[in-house]
Amino acid sequence: MANKEFKEGQEFAAKPKKVSWERLWTFSGGPFAQTGWPKSNLHTDLEFAKKCGLPSVAASGTQHQGHVVQLMIDLFGMEWLSHGTMDVKFIGVVDAGDMLTARAVIKSVEAHNRAKKYTMDVWVDNQRGEKMLVGSTTAIA
Amino acid sequence: MVEKKDDRYVEVGYEYAPLEFVVTPELNQQYLYSEEDFDRRYLEETEAGPPMVHPALLLNMSNNTRSPSFYLPPGVGGFHSRDETFFYHPARVGKKFKVTWKVVDEYEKRGRPYKVFEAKIVDQDGVEIMKRLIHATFAEQKYVK
Repeated sequence: MANKEFKEGQEFAAKPKKVSWERLWTFSGGPFAQTGWPKSNLHTDLEFAKKCGLPSVAASGTQHQGHVVQLMIDLFGMEWLSHGTMDVKFIGVVDAGDMLTARAVIKSVEAHNRAKKYTMDVWVDNQRGEKMLVGSTTAIA
Repeated sequence: MVEKKDDRYVEVGYEYAPLEFVVTPELNQQYLYSEEDFDRRYLEETEAGPPMVHPALLLNMSNNTRSPSFYLPPGVGGFHSRDETFFYHPARVGKKFKVTWKVVDEYEKRGRPYKVFEAKIVDQDGVEIMKRLIHATFAEQKYVK
């Protein structure tokens, strides 16, 4: 999809992804080579999370932030990693087994030198349609 | 031995011990699995150059919980609430990266203390990869309603 022109109001959705226990541990358990993998923390260990007052484990926000980054790279190519910005809030707890979908809508398109600057609303919702992450991104293309 | 400081009490201006790490193909592939993103650009040389580090790896490795001086007592967890991220350059597999963190702000919201950490990642050649402003609070029983 990279190098295409987009219009205000255009919507995009990434492939839904299941945050399985295996993917939670792999993301937040530290490098495989580390002794005692996976590291126990509120992302990987239900008992640890409960001691912190949480009802379930909470996936690291950076895990589904990564889903938004992947969507931006799908739209704008690897160049996005040279100028892209992202401002997001984590408004829900992502539990093991949740199915997440990263989404974006073009809010504005402005001239930027010889290119265009896109501002997008982005969010990640779960299998119940509840938003877990909300925010905005910018891209130049 | 790195001196650890309880993260609930670090103040504006505090700088964490930096983290240096090398992204091996194996470490990168660990994140490709967790992100379900097996694009070949992360696995082999492409027209864009040598294999790239998955950005989610960099996001995760630049959480302040990764600093050797980060500490929270048992029963307390760090909780990420907002992230302002600025991407400057792609990162390449095989390079060494250095992450630095500094507390740049603190505030209270709905009875909870929040801190803002500036995280910067540069590679072994001094190339700036990413900057983040990480807003975080704490998960502990006393905040459960």
